[in-house]
Amino acid sequence: MTYTCRNEAIIMSTSFYTDISISTTALGEESGKLSRAYEAFIRDYFVPISREPLFPQMKFYRLKSQWEAETAFLPSLSNIAMHPAYQQIIGMGRVVIPLILREMKKEEGHWFWALKSITGEDPVPPEHRGRIKAMTEDWLLWGKEQGYIS
Amino acid sequence: MSRHQIEREFPALLNSGYGITSPAEKDYNCIAWAAGDATAWWEPDPQYICFWPANIPRVYTLEAFVKAFETLGFAQCQDARCEDGFEKVTIYVSSDGIPTHAARQLSSGMWTSKLGNSEDIEHRSLEVLEGSIYGAVAIVLKRPTDT
Repeated sequence: MTYTCRNEAIIMSTSFYTDISISTTALGEESGKLSRAYEAFIRDYFVPISREPLFPQMKFYRLKSQWEAETAFLPSLSNIAMHPAYQQIIGMGRVVIPLILREMKKEEGHWFWALKSITGEDPVPPEHRGRIKAMTEDWLLWGKEQGYIS
Repeated sequence: MSRHQIEREFPALLNSGYGITSPAEKDYNCIAWAAGDATAWWEPDPQYICFWPANIPRVYTLEAFVKAFETLGFAQCQDARCEDGFEKVTIYVSSDGIPTHAARQLSSGMWTSKLGNSEDIEHRSLEVLEGSIYGAVAIVLKRPTDT
């Protein structure tokens, strides 16, 4: 019982702090860095890696941070998608679909490869291929229709 | 990415007189930027996520990338010197021959490059981007500027 209570407390803390991810829109470069470092600190403080299996969202955000930091200059989408952290996100399966879609709502990113791989679907019409904004809208609409996001 | 991070990945840029000319954008990649398209990500990916010109093989070979630029009127040329009346692009390949990057020459003779998901830069020479990430320049193409 005690364990359950503690676990619930952690879950509350975790969802609270994962939901406060800070938008870096309109922030200067240094402010953006500080915001990201603060987010990482809060997450690491409340959920160490040893507890990650209990919290897929924490694993997702850690992998996402690592993936973004290490692929900024990579030349191709296939290089970006083959990054080990991205592949681990794909390996997490359908549990990450709402997390990915929420990220896409906040900021453009190369999540299409992961979504296609996890879902086996492709809501993007051929004329939208390569057009990040249009593809993002296609996937967000798909996510709403499938009930992953509101 | 910061100037410091760019220079860490491409150390030859340091002291070479380069400039950052855009904020980081994910809407397009280096191939699209070299092709003059800032609205799409050009790549022959096997998942059919990215734009790739119709009827050009979706493979990561120099030949396919050259064919993609040929659809825009480019043809192979001898060197990267700035020529009046011509626009030039160059394709970099990795040590195993896979295309990694493209740069476009401006009328000033400077080159413009989109660095992955990061910023566009202007750089004086092609060699400053050569190295472990983009490999080396493999081919130069040109087309008349009125194309």
